[in-house]
Amino acid sequence: MVDLARKILFHDKVRFLITVSGVAFAVTLVFVQVGLFEGLLANASVTIEKIDADLWVSARNTPNVDFSNTFSETMVQRVRSVPGVARADNLIVWFGRVALPSGATENAVLYALEDFTHWNLPWRISTGDARDLRRGKYVILDDSATKRFGPFAVGDYREFNGQRLKIIGRTAEARSFTTNPIAFLDYRVAQSLDRQSLHNRTTYILVKLAPGADAPAVAAAIQHRLPYNNVWTRDAWAVRSRSYWTDNTGLGLNMVMTVFLGCLVGVVVVAQTLYTSTMEHIKEFATVKAIGGGNAQIYAIIAKQAVIAAVVGFALGALMTSGLRPIMAGIDLKLSLTPSFAFVVFAGTLGLCLAASAISFRRVASLDPALVFRG
Amino acid sequence: MNVLEAADVVKTFREGTESVSVLRGASLSLARGEIVALEGPSGSGKTTFLTILGCMLTPTSGRVAIEGRAVDPNRPDRLPWLRRTSIGFVFQQFNLFPALTAAENVEYTLNLKGLKGKSARIEAARVLEAVGLTDRAHFLPRDLSGGQKQRVAIARALAGSAPIILADEPTANLDSQVGSQVLELFRDLAKRENRALLIVTHDPKVRGVADRVAHIADGVIQN
Repeated sequence: MVDLARKILFHDKVRFLITVSGVAFAVTLVFVQVGLFEGLLANASVTIEKIDADLWVSARNTPNVDFSNTFSETMVQRVRSVPGVARADNLIVWFGRVALPSGATENAVLYALEDFTHWNLPWRISTGDARDLRRGKYVILDDSATKRFGPFAVGDYREFNGQRLKIIGRTAEARSFTTNPIAFLDYRVAQSLDRQSLHNRTTYILVKLAPGADAPAVAAAIQHRLPYNNVWTRDAWAVRSRSYWTDNTGLGLNMVMTVFLGCLVGVVVVAQTLYTSTMEHIKEFATVKAIGGGNAQIYAIIAKQAVIAAVVGFALGALMTSGLRPIMAGIDLKLSLTPSFAFVVFAGTLGLCLAASAISFRRVASLDPALVFRG
Repeated sequence: MNVLEAADVVKTFREGTESVSVLRGASLSLARGEIVALEGPSGSGKTTFLTILGCMLTPTSGRVAIEGRAVDPNRPDRLPWLRRTSIGFVFQQFNLFPALTAAENVEYTLNLKGLKGKSARIEAARVLEAVGLTDRAHFLPRDLSGGQKQRVAIARALAGSAPIILADEPTANLDSQVGSQVLELFRDLAKRENRALLIVTHDPKVRGVADRVAHIADGVIQN
């Protein structure tokens, strides 16, 4: 079978290049925008997803994991008494001021537990041991702090809220949505850094369920005993933390607009080039009709050209995005791309290219095969 | 039996509020193996008549029959099938697909007719050999001369088993010598393969290869 669609498309290589460039540009734009957005949002809930807790208890109306509020640390006893709870510990998440050797100050997000061994926190430690934190005024600092705080090494001291803490380890990937690096320290040390706000107070209670326990039922039981707090399942809390940033900052709308514009550019380029190509080959299509082909055959030709443009454009776009990934990682921008998202973009590219080709269908439907007899 | 028959064909077009009659009762018949030249001045209705005979247009009134079966003007959806199965076309501008080689141009037509794969390749090779273009089978149209292009177009029209070949000014874009060669070849092949050939032309050389010359003037055929 002679593949007229492919032959026509590849015959004019410049036009083909323009078409696939348009698609590739749109695909790259969508990948980069959504990838950056997802990468940024991942920071908004990374600790929730990494910490090995089934339920989180927060102060009422806490908007996201970073913007915590305090409540009495003794509430943890009530939680521990709820049937179905295997373990419950207080967690402090609090902003701290770090004095730098340069004299400047920067913010860090403090994560403090009494016992780090049960909660997979920190989840990626490159130097040091989190069990040592409870032995004194120590801190484990994330690598991302290098950019904000300058170079640091294990054994160095930094001043947190006026207290000197010794750096005893380094972690990776621990940063908040606010771009502040995360510092891990002992629960009591954290309370001592801000006595006014944190004396005998915590910001969260982490809950691990007993095997076979029903999460919603246990959450309801905890909620019953702590009516002035909120109880969240891990997923619900992660969604709430992410939604805060998308809904309250215009970030979500910005992303939707950029993706929409990216798609629009892709559709316009494909529609325009396919339509121009159809018009330029109109006499060939009239010949197809004259020698016995119907509209269906010509639609198939144009649709196949759109599919080829979509597939090649998507592949090019994906390739460009993979090339950009390490470059962006070099400037601390995380592109978060999953296979399922890539599939959605591919399906979208295919659908939009086919929709763009439909503009040419209208012209072909009314094409008179007798055109072949006109010079 | 006539393979193509047109009787009292009338075609009227509307131009604004006026009706223009291009054909006013044109009649023509062709038998298998017969070559007919259709001559006429510009605006006489040649192309409209050819378009109706080629099942691209339906007449306002009158009857067209192919291999004894009347073309139903109320079934325009059947026209592509008739063109595919019964008619081969040769156009003034050759109308080859620029992106396809000579062989692929012929093969694509065969694909439309339902012949695919090896069978289509064998048939394409056969007709290209018949027009003397075996050594140019894999050339794109841009690499062929005008005469060679028209021979590919003839091969395309002959490919398959369409009993009727309709040619529109096939020598108009060729120089005199090449035009004569193409006409000789066309006549030989039509006779050998027993096809009915109608050539619409201004070229007096066509008379030399035709069995019969029909004139069209003011929408009426004068044999």
